[in-house]
Amino acid sequence: MRLAWNFSRVVQRAVVGGRLFLWLWLALACGGLHAQPQTLTQAQATVTVRGVSVQKAVVLPYVWDSQHKGAPGQASFKLTFDLPQLPSEPWGLYVQRMGNAYDIRLNGDLLEQGGDLQRFNQGDAGHMPRLLNIPQSVLSLHNTLSVFIRADAGRHGGLSRLVVGPVDEIQPMYRQAHLWLSTGTLLVTGFSLVVGLVAMALWATQVQVGLDGRVRREPLYLYAALAELAWSLRVVNGHIESPPLPWPWWGVPPVVALGAWGVFMVFFCLELTGWRRTLLVVGFRRWLVLLLVLGPVAAIWALGWGQPLILTLWYGALGASFLAFGLWFVVYAARLAGMQQRLVALAVATNVLVGLRDLYVFRIDPAYPSNSLLYYTSVLFGLTLGYVVIERFREVSAQARELMGSLTSRVAERERELNSSYQRLELLAREQARASERTRILRDMHDGVGSHISTAIRQLQSGCARDEDVLQTLRDSMDQLKLTIDAMHLPHGDVTAMLANLRYRLEPRFAASDVALQWAVDLLVPVQRLDGLAMRHLQFMVFEALSNVLQHARAVWLRIEADQVPQGVRIRIVDSGQGFDVGLPPRKGLASMRERASAIGAQLTVTSAMGRTVVEISIPRG
Amino acid sequence: MWHVLIVEDDPLMRDFFADSLSRSDQLHLLASVGTVAEAFGYLHASAPVVDVLLVDLGLPDGNGLDVIRFACQRHPACEPLVISMFGDEDNVLASIEAGALGYIHKDAVPGDIAQTILDMKAGASPISPMIARRVLAKYRAIHTAPTVAAPEAEALPLAPSAHPATKERAMLSAREQDVLVLIERGFSYNEIARLRAVSVHTVQTHIKSLYSKLAVHSRSEAVFEATRMGLLPRS
Repeated sequence: MRLAWNFSRVVQRAVVGGRLFLWLWLALACGGLHAQPQTLTQAQATVTVRGVSVQKAVVLPYVWDSQHKGAPGQASFKLTFDLPQLPSEPWGLYVQRMGNAYDIRLNGDLLEQGGDLQRFNQGDAGHMPRLLNIPQSVLSLHNTLSVFIRADAGRHGGLSRLVVGPVDEIQPMYRQAHLWLSTGTLLVTGFSLVVGLVAMALWATQVQVGLDGRVRREPLYLYAALAELAWSLRVVNGHIESPPLPWPWWGVPPVVALGAWGVFMVFFCLELTGWRRTLLVVGFRRWLVLLLVLGPVAAIWALGWGQPLILTLWYGALGASFLAFGLWFVVYAARLAGMQQRLVALAVATNVLVGLRDLYVFRIDPAYPSNSLLYYTSVLFGLTLGYVVIERFREVSAQARELMGSLTSRVAERERELNSSYQRLELLAREQARASERTRILRDMHDGVGSHISTAIRQLQSGCARDEDVLQTLRDSMDQLKLTIDAMHLPHGDVTAMLANLRYRLEPRFAASDVALQWAVDLLVPVQRLDGLAMRHLQFMVFEALSNVLQHARAVWLRIEADQVPQGVRIRIVDSGQGFDVGLPPRKGLASMRERASAIGAQLTVTSAMGRTVVEISIPRG
Repeated sequence: MWHVLIVEDDPLMRDFFADSLSRSDQLHLLASVGTVAEAFGYLHASAPVVDVLLVDLGLPDGNGLDVIRFACQRHPACEPLVISMFGDEDNVLASIEAGALGYIHKDAVPGDIAQTILDMKAGASPISPMIARRVLAKYRAIHTAPTVAAPEAEALPLAPSAHPATKERAMLSAREQDVLVLIERGFSYNEIARLRAVSVHTVQTHIKSLYSKLAVHSRSEAVFEATRMGLLPRS
């Protein structure tokens, strides 16, 4: 944009400068006081084409390609100019184009020589404008300028208008031309090269791996890169005086580069529309590829066989295709697309129009063009392209960030779900624990307190029960109640704690009886699998065994043992009482003990003989 | 002769306890009241010194724990006993921390009640294996807590080390710890005395001192908490 702005400013300055120059020239011409620049357009020429020489008067510029289509040759021009007086200040000669090789002399003295005058299709010395200093001694009042040139076919050879005058006055013209043709094109080349390389780097590095494991690259970056690299080759060509290939072969790369630039630009725009798959787009792409392939053929045909029309037609076909595409793209961008597409459409429109202007100026109009405007307007393309590439990169990065963000939120969401399902599970587990606790308490009330109270009622109703018996029943009931409450606090699986607590609760009974208690309880490792209900079953079993001993056994001593065995924990209640027949149908208490033992996966063994009865409860760990 | 105050809302139970006391000529019933308010009134008037307080926890106008605290404050020599239906660990522990030195079951025989009071005055306090386990678990947790910089091999701290004023008094001695572990495993006082080659009286002394420490610790913990929360001024 800045360059474009500069361009308009320079044009403005040039116009203003031109007017000033005209006024100055008129003033000097009228006054005759000062030497003024003279533009030389009339020349006597001797033109030799294919060995035939012709002498004629010509008007400069002498555009070789339009005078001798497809033919190389040589020409010598004689131009004269007079001076009213010999100037005191340094004089010079400004030539915009002279070549492809040249030899220029003033009054017989060599001013400058460039390139090989005899050998055709060698280097091109005529690309750049020239400012030649004229030594004071060479100038006279009547001067003859002799220019000898070699011109290759289709290589923009010939001779432009010449301007002689004080160096101070013609230098600005030279500088301006040099600025545009040399410095300007170098800047454009550098810019295109940078954009192209950046786009290429993005294409090479920004890869996406698809679900099928295939690596995908963004073609948008590649088209941008190829277009800009091709354009930098096209533009830098003007600076190459000694090309690596002879003419006309060296004519091919710039032609192909121009074609490639346009074609890849179109591809880039098509990528922007995202309509890759439609039939029309596929067809158009194939047509452009065909044009690109035909480019070298057209170039060789035109430059090598002297048929410039072929190249003009090729350029025309390219231009028409771009014009059609440009119109479509501008309409598309204006109606449907966003900022990126609109900016690109603006660049497309500008370049297509300027390209058509260049096509006319270079290939159709016989006048010498000062320069290709496309060189500079292409920068617009480079800028929008750079903008789009950066914007696209930014969008992709933003998408990646968004993806990361949504991934994070999905992880958080999943975590919340897990949490809530965990809480549900926990609730369920608590419900289950409550249900199991309720079952335990109900069972306790049924087997313990309830059973004892109903027994007491029966005892009292029968009328023949002794007070002691009723009291004993009620004491049992109270003990059961206390044990039920204690069982709520018993640590799961801690058999030692359970036995210690049972002993403590039954201490008054032991004290009241004549039985000597022996305590042989080891510190046991808790059996983890025994929950509250299982602990209560175990407690009930031991209580029942101890009650039996205290009430029925008539024992002298009673030993409570608990120790660790390989399988788990073993509890033994041993007494020295009268024993009983274990073969008889079990009493209610013993039947209940067996039932509870099987409920908690424990083994109950009862052995009894006179003087020694052993109730053994084995609780396996697993 | 020990002077006893009974605080019990059930008249039948009150009479039962009064009857139980009368069986011993070493016990003298000062009064028996049925509410917290009456108990406070009596303790406040405090003409004769109350030696023993027999108190039920569930009273119609409040909690027996408050009566225990007030009695300990007004009559430092008073030794409270809690009347408990089940002797369940939550209630017993709360009573001990309020200052009680023992508890009596409601279903105990009358002779046992008088004997329990006399035993307590002679230095014996009952402790169940469940209570012992709870006390040990609580102070093992404090012991292993990171706030205690240098855990001592010989003793367990009963108070956070950040509160040095009560630190020494609140320590559980190694011997007390040992006794607690044996009680936890179900051994009787006699068996413990035999196992450790000490007199039963020594074992009983350990338990009673443990009771006092639990009450002191509970009070200092409350003060410490209150100070920390800004309810009491820092002195």
